[in-house]
Amino acid sequence: MTAVPHDIGPAVPAPTAPAPAAAPRRRRWHRLAIPLGLAALLTTITVVTHAVDQPDPTEPGFLSPVATDADGGSRLAEALRDRGVVVQRETDPLRAMLATAGRATLFVPAPELLHPGTLGALRDLPGRTRLVLVDPPRQVLEATGLPLVPAGRRWATRAVGPDVDGLPCALPEAARAGVAAAERQRYAVPPGRSGAAVDRCYADGLARVPRSTETVVIGASDPFRNDRIGERGNRELATGLLGTTGRVVWLDLDGPAPPPPSPDGTDGPSWPADSEGPGGGTGDDGSPGGGDEPGGSGDDRGDGDSAADGRPPPNPLWAAFPAWFWALLTQLALAALLLVLWRARRLGPPVSEPLPVAVRSAETVLGRARLYQRARARGPAADTLRSAALARLLPRLNLPADPPPDAVSAAVAARAGGTAAQAHDLLYGDEPTTDRELLDLARSLDLLTRTVAGTPEAARADAGPHVRPPVAADPRPPDPVAADPPADLPGPDRPATVPRPRPAPPKEDPR
Amino acid sequence: MTWRAAALLAAGAATLPLWPAPFVGVILMTVVVLALTAVDWALAAPPAGIAADRDGDRRVRLGGTATVALRLTNASARTLRARVRDEWVPSAGARPDVPPGRVVRMDPGAGVDLPTRLTPSRRGDRPAVALTIRSYGPLRLAFRQRAGHPATPAWTLRVLPRFDSRRHLPEKLARLRVIDGTQVTRGRGEGTEFDTLREYVVGDDVRSIDWRASARRSDVLVRTWRPERDRRLVCVLDTGRTSAARIGDQPRLDAYLDAALLLTALAARAGDRVDLIAADAVVRAVVTGAGRPALLTRLVDAVAPLQPALVETDFALIAGEVLRRERQRSLVVLFTALEAGALGEGLLPVLPRLAARHRVIVAATHDPVLTELTTTAPGRPADAYAAAAAWRALAERDRLRAALTRYGVTVLDAPADRLAPEVADAYLRLKSLGRL
Repeated sequence: MTAVPHDIGPAVPAPTAPAPAAAPRRRRWHRLAIPLGLAALLTTITVVTHAVDQPDPTEPGFLSPVATDADGGSRLAEALRDRGVVVQRETDPLRAMLATAGRATLFVPAPELLHPGTLGALRDLPGRTRLVLVDPPRQVLEATGLPLVPAGRRWATRAVGPDVDGLPCALPEAARAGVAAAERQRYAVPPGRSGAAVDRCYADGLARVPRSTETVVIGASDPFRNDRIGERGNRELATGLLGTTGRVVWLDLDGPAPPPPSPDGTDGPSWPADSEGPGGGTGDDGSPGGGDEPGGSGDDRGDGDSAADGRPPPNPLWAAFPAWFWALLTQLALAALLLVLWRARRLGPPVSEPLPVAVRSAETVLGRARLYQRARARGPAADTLRSAALARLLPRLNLPADPPPDAVSAAVAARAGGTAAQAHDLLYGDEPTTDRELLDLARSLDLLTRTVAGTPEAARADAGPHVRPPVAADPRPPDPVAADPPADLPGPDRPATVPRPRPAPPKEDPR
Repeated sequence: MTWRAAALLAAGAATLPLWPAPFVGVILMTVVVLALTAVDWALAAPPAGIAADRDGDRRVRLGGTATVALRLTNASARTLRARVRDEWVPSAGARPDVPPGRVVRMDPGAGVDLPTRLTPSRRGDRPAVALTIRSYGPLRLAFRQRAGHPATPAWTLRVLPRFDSRRHLPEKLARLRVIDGTQVTRGRGEGTEFDTLREYVVGDDVRSIDWRASARRSDVLVRTWRPERDRRLVCVLDTGRTSAARIGDQPRLDAYLDAALLLTALAARAGDRVDLIAADAVVRAVVTGAGRPALLTRLVDAVAPLQPALVETDFALIAGEVLRRERQRSLVVLFTALEAGALGEGLLPVLPRLAARHRVIVAATHDPVLTELTTTAPGRPADAYAAAAAWRALAERDRLRAALTRYGVTVLDAPADRLAPEVADAYLRLKSLGRL
């Protein structure tokens, strides 16, 4: 029976199957899907709510003086009439422009519905006419020759003061209105036309171009709408912008306006005529719109668009290589994709297992040593070393426990050499004050115990403290730092020179 | 798909300069390769149609090598060409005879054995974790692989402790036989229990002649004695935080196990009954002595999965468990570490109850690092501080020893490799004195 046979005995019961393997996988999937799904849901809800909330200028009834719903402008029309302003509703762009003869204000709530052919005409309205455009897109700004470009759009309208950017607002109406919900689409002067005189208010949400036709561009429709006209200074701003001339021609379009009848034969959408030179001063050359531009409208439009978008012309690199080269690259990329798909599937998952705990031996002792050192506890350390040395010395010097220091010093001096004063200083001297002194003390004590032990090598081999006779008479718990001198019998089981291989525990089996 | 599909596509790319319309060629070749791959995928044997089973060793001694065979049976109607990866935990040291890179071919209905050689590096239970089969089509352009198909056949290899101390067993058994009297070296056997009467032979102690029996027969008879049998012995293993400290290369718990196994082997041969309790905050393992031949096997099996736990050992629980299980007077060998904090606050309060009914031995491994710190001459200031701390720890341990001895407890404090023979010697000494 010297070996443990490992193939006999009852078979261990069948090991438990790794049943809960599926659960962590599902949970891991959840860990990814739940937060992402939550974020997607929140984003969707926000976008949908915003789309529902924001009015669509192309809908019929948007800012119409006769529409009483939230997007309509009936309250604005009433407010204007209350101020004595004549509101003249027009549904045809040309008639509206004709109606501006004399001093009037042309209010265009939905400029993108205007046909491009009509836009050119807006720039030569009769003088002393004020033109108010609500949130005009880039094409309209270009076609009407205004020195403005869109410069950033807010997610929602913000109510700001008229001179929020530090400069005072030059429009007296805006200054009267005060804080109003006018900042949504901002406008800036294009870099090439920085000399143009433009008054900007409401953090660039409102711009006035004082040309022959005074044009006011506002980026938010909120001050005019029924649902928000009552807030802050909105009503004041809207009526102020529209009511300065005493008569408002309100262009109320239900849908995209038809092309204007062509008096000069070209029924042309010629609106990008001025866009050929974004930096040029063509806005003031007085050319009558783009109606004179011959040629196919499609090409013009395409060129204009590409120039406006800043798209570069076709890359000449395409033509630098034959077509098969690009095909080759494509096919190699597809092959690389197949390689990726092949390598992406691993042959089985990585396997993990818990590691056993590893606690270094004597960890607490070494930690306490470092604490001693950091606290510079040289006194307690020296006390411990001295009492340990005494505990080793006394049995070998045949001295009783707890002897008078003089007797110990004399015995040590007699045995190991030196004077009694040196031995006394070593064993009962002052606390060391530096690390160097402590080290010297430790070395001297070590040397002394070896000398007294007589046979250093043999003593070293087993005279370790762990075989010291137990301190049987010390009933106290291990509380004091400096160990007491051993209180047991000095001699009997510790001969001075002959090391015993292993002293048996003293109280064991005496009978 | 595999690298072959990608290579096919890349090779086809080399012909592109010859095509009149290169991009048409790209599309055509891609479609052809994908179609071939799809056909190959469809022709691959389905992994779900493979049955997997295992056979082989359930136990191995630490340091030995076990063989566990994975048996695959192709139950589908197609020829299986597959790469097989059989995963064990890393410490099982698995080396498959057929590496996972090689493709195994099996005809329909055929089976194949894939042996794996396991050389575990740690004691305890070493399970097989996952089996993955990648089934290729005949062109090896595509493969089928599904996690969990076929299901991994469960298997756990129990790695038993090394039991290094069994080299001490012959010597201890010889001493036991001397004590037992079965080996005639000193005449009669020691002990107090009457064994038999036998005829006197020259050399027997004349004091053991039974004159009354000799008178009844016309021969001189002597009494023989033997040690008491059917004594009880309880090994208590402390698996708490102090057993996790590594002495040399192995945790203290392994030294405890080694010594407990030697003691059990010896006591089982001496006819004593051995129980074992392993506990820290909870009881981890209990083996109660039963039929003698199977005892050591059962014990080894029970202690193999024990691991140190980083908790404080509940000595009240241990004492209660020992007192509850052992009604008769027994020898309780408590394997633990002589640490003032753990024993002083945990064991000393419950020791009187335990020592009143049982004879207690505390067997501890001492730390060679402390001896090293206290016996070498210091070279740096840090060494002086370390020596002071070590002296203080030793003084605390001596005080603990004294406190334990006061209760009549025998304290054994030995280096890890000497613990098992020391414990065995203590047992034999008690046995020979009839003080068990």
